Amino acid sequence: MKRTVIKRDGTEEPFRTQKIINAIFEIIEGLEVEDDYELVFLIMKELDLKVPERVSTEELDRLVLKAIEQLIPRHPVYDTLATRQLLKLINKRIDRRLDSFRDYLEKGFEQELLHERLKDFDFELLEQSLDFERDRLLGYFGLTTMNDRYLMKNRDGEVMEKPQWFFMRVAMGIGNSNEEIIKIYNKLSKLEYLHSTPTLFNSGTVTSQYSSCYVSVIDDSLDSIMDKARETAFLAKYAGGVGTDVSRIRATGSNIASLNAPSSGAIPFIKIFDTLVNSIQQGGRRRSSQVVSMQPWHLDIDGFLDLRETTGNAYFRTPSLNTSLWMPDEMMRRIDQGEPIYLFDPGECPELVDATGDDFKKNYARRIEQAEAGELEQFRQLDSQDFFKKYLFKLAKTGHPWLIFKDEHNRHNPCPEYSVINSSNLCTEISIPNRPDSTAVCTLASVNLSKHVKEDKSDIDWEKLVDTLETMTRGLDNILDKNFYPSEAARQNTMDLRPLGIGLMGFAEALIDLDIPYDSEEAVILARKLGAFMRKIAYRTSQELAEERGAFRHYREMEEQGEGYDYPPRRNAVLLAIAPTASISIITGTTSSIDSYFSNIYSRDTLSGKHIVINRQLIEDLEEKGKWSDGMADVIKAHNGSVQYIDELDGVIDKELYKTAYEIHPRRQIDIAAAFQESIDQAVSKSLYIDEHLREDMEEIYLYAWEKKLKSTYYCFIDKVVKGEKYTEKVNKRGSRKGFGGGGAASAANGDSSDTSEPAEAGTQAELEAKARQKFGDEVVDEALEADADSCPTDPMLRRICPACE
Amino acid sequence: MINKLIGRTSVRDNIKLSEDPSYPIFKELYEKQKKAIWFPEELNIQQDALDYHSLSEDEKDLFDTAVGYFCSSELLVQNVLVNSFFPLLTDPHAKMSFSTQLFMENIHSDFFEIVLQSFGMDREKMYDVAFDDPILRKKQSLIVDEIDKISYGQIDPETLEGQKQVLRAILLNNIILEGIFFYSSFAHFFALKDMAKMKNVVSGVELVLIDESLHLQNGIEAILIMLDENPEIVKDTEYVQDIRDVILEGTALEIEYVKHKFGDRTILGISYGELERYLKYITDRRLQELGFQQEFHITENPLRFLQKEDVKKLINFFEVSSTEYTNY
Ligand SMILES: [Fe+2]
Ligand SMILES: [Fe+2]
Repeated sequence: MKRTVIKRDGTEEPFRTQKIINAIFEIIEGLEVEDDYELVFLIMKELDLKVPERVSTEELDRLVLKAIEQLIPRHPVYDTLATRQLLKLINKRIDRRLDSFRDYLEKGFEQELLHERLKDFDFELLEQSLDFERDRLLGYFGLTTMNDRYLMKNRDGEVMEKPQWFFMRVAMGIGNSNEEIIKIYNKLSKLEYLHSTPTLFNSGTVTSQYSSCYVSVIDDSLDSIMDKARETAFLAKYAGGVGTDVSRIRATGSNIASLNAPSSGAIPFIKIFDTLVNSIQQGGRRRSSQVVSMQPWHLDIDGFLDLRETTGNAYFRTPSLNTSLWMPDEMMRRIDQGEPIYLFDPGECPELVDATGDDFKKNYARRIEQAEAGELEQFRQLDSQDFFKKYLFKLAKTGHPWLIFKDEHNRHNPCPEYSVINSSNLCTEISIPNRPDSTAVCTLASVNLSKHVKEDKSDIDWEKLVDTLETMTRGLDNILDKNFYPSEAARQNTMDLRPLGIGLMGFAEALIDLDIPYDSEEAVILARKLGAFMRKIAYRTSQELAEERGAFRHYREMEEQGEGYDYPPRRNAVLLAIAPTASISIITGTTSSIDSYFSNIYSRDTLSGKHIVINRQLIEDLEEKGKWSDGMADVIKAHNGSVQYIDELDGVIDKELYKTAYEIHPRRQIDIAAAFQESIDQAVSKSLYIDEHLREDMEEIYLYAWEKKLKSTYYCFIDKVVKGEKYTEKVNKRGSRKGFGGGGAASAANGDSSDTSEPAEAGTQAELEAKARQKFGDEVVDEALEADADSCPTDPMLRRICPACE
Repeated sequence: MINKLIGRTSVRDNIKLSEDPSYPIFKELYEKQKKAIWFPEELNIQQDALDYHSLSEDEKDLFDTAVGYFCSSELLVQNVLVNSFFPLLTDPHAKMSFSTQLFMENIHSDFFEIVLQSFGMDREKMYDVAFDDPILRKKQSLIVDEIDKISYGQIDPETLEGQKQVLRAILLNNIILEGIFFYSSFAHFFALKDMAKMKNVVSGVELVLIDESLHLQNGIEAILIMLDENPEIVKDTEYVQDIRDVILEGTALEIEYVKHKFGDRTILGISYGELERYLKYITDRRLQELGFQQEFHITENPLRFLQKEDVKKLINFFEVSSTEYTNY
């Protein structure tokens, strides 16, 4: 097959292997690799089958990228190469349209993409501060994700930002001065911390919506419900996640005074939000989502637990909503001790909604007495353990609702005079007092701990961490005044409380650097220390900010009323929240939040497609011990990404360091989250990973989470047992049975692989190459591999591996 | 001829489960299939609507044809099962396993039907594609024409000839149709996801793949058991050669089909050359699973992105429908 390359200007030229080989050598340059020829050979081999008869230069570039990408699971070096190739493509495309960073800014203003405010800064100084070398810190998955969704596009939908321009644009939307911008840029571009996705999307742009989360409260009135529907629509439109408490909405059968008719309960109203969110989800770079939260004593709780079921009456199902339970201590106590629980109608017992802790316990007991005495219109008594079992079954089956602890959230409310905390947000890390007229907003950023380990890996680089935390606190506080608030209730809450959410990612990666197994007491101790440290620095900075810019408004108002809070003035009511960091940990290429490695090799499904993630630290370790090879990669894959049962590695590496999520007992996962939670003033969003064999212990596990004073749990992952046939791995379904090979009938049918004869088609290129090396020696083979159309080998065997010969 | 997996049955037979089943493997496969049950409503298919409209012409054609092919083939699998060998299963656990397969095919048709509706595809065209496209028709005919001959009680399972016919029917259905033809189309879907397109639909196809790999296992087990129970079969050289040939014929038809579909274009980053190798690789696997020697000696799956299907999955829940929950 003769191949033709069509160039951008429409002219054609013959496809030349050598040209591509040279281009690959170019991206390898400067990389420390053992055998660059072998690298090139492998890539060419992958590429060869892909290139069609007629191919455009752009398509060819993409195919080269695909070819490299396919090799990523073999070795991290291919990840680096793929990143470089993608960078090359991004830069090439942008260079055709834009001359420089300045040019980009100008076009951005011209097309009304960038915010006028940015014009105040010194473009020349900022341009000089750009450091394109830092592109090298990005990994392939991170860069792909950035390129797909984060890098700003022009009005024609073409990417117009290089990664460093992107970091600078984000910094410009946050910093108040040139110096501050450079400081933030440096931190972001070195991946030392990152802001949450909405900030990365919108910072410095005309859509200055920086916040991730909104948490609203619906009152028990049609007015309020419709009001909140409207607010939700606007919040969702601007890509935030919305949390909404529905505990106040009266239950089914409750009397509506104005109509003197029974209510149809909370569920049909929740359905409105499902429809609403679904209609806004279409398109966009990230799905807007909503979580509705209900307290489990609500009489409609059964219907609530079923919202995410996939069968049944579609009218009572909400496939586009997430759900969570806002669980009071008193009900957990009853579950723990096997005492019955009671369900009530918030229309009849409204005081239960707001009451927390002992106050709730007292009111709940009083209502139970009334119920037993027949003084209530509506109530139900349930066996608490049956209820809990049923709930956990739903959690395992549908992933919903998540379990969040009402009283633990409220015990740490720094502003009880403002309001109770009515629920958490979509990702369960928010804990901010809110009311129907005050919708909580949280603006988040997360430290990348893996970039805060001392060079000699002896300890956390605490000094650097101070610097990062200070920068973050100030930057986040700046944002609050630049942010666009989609609703008045949201602005109100922010101006009153100025809440921030500083979190953490890369905890597990840092642990391995420090030689500490995730599944150890030492890890718990470090978690506790880190939490306390984050609190100390963030609070200190916020107190300084209060001196410079004033304390948060509600604090001042309480002080003016002579009922001031007993803590020193600070700028922000709350400062810390550990979010799941799903997307930004991908950009930084580290482990998410405070979770362990999910597995040592796994695939991750995101809006940017499916990517294979490998534990680079493990591979480096194995390489150092001379144990990394394609064979080992296959063995680890065959073990579903676990190294625990590979005997060959006993005593070679410290296996404890590389336990994967399901191999760490949920108790330990909870211990680590609890150690952080001691100091985190908002919440730690903790997903639990439960191995199938512990499924029976779910009750115990979730009771333990409550005892350990977690505020929030998040997704419950249960290892899936039934998997599809493995595609890339030999599986022996036949065992020792002979099947058609048993009779010795036809020679062609003669089973068990005693094939000594030369196969009809000589296997893969690799086998061919190996054979050729044996026959001709390495030198000849290498030459053949490099051959282009002008110097093709003559031997038929060599011709078959020569990339230019067909 | 009693105590065989395939035999003459009446409505009075097979109505007792035993604690000590004759074919424990079918109990196990039933359990596995039960755990794999899912519903199309779990996937947010509509989410892919924008994606669908941004597919290139080649990509759309590939997607449409694959969907259309599955739309009718899922139901075809049911026909073949019900009309040919299901009534001849003598073991209650085997019946449970194969009828769970039947149920799963409902889910699959349901799923592809929802896909078809969600993107406003031409339903008549979709359902007819498998018989309108000249090359797809060859594939379908290979299955249909043979099954025609042995449907509706035309087999006497008490004879060796009957046993051979049933074996061939299972082979055509569970190995060639589900294990080769379906696997070919799966690759087209997964290539889409690899390019970050149609992610939610493909999440559903991932579930279909899990199911189909269990159906394949149903077929392999049934065939191996039959060979074990009828040792005369493998002594019939001609018959064994025929079986091998029909598998290879299936592969040849599938290769012809991808050749016609891809030509010398590279769509979604994959080319005819890669797909051809892939099909040969899959066929070698099927041959070996049945005890045959390999035909093509392809040791490595050339479609490397498929290894993403082999490892544990972590989903960004707010972005892509999850396929990682178990229903019970
Ligand atoms: Fe199916
Ligand atoms: Fe099937």
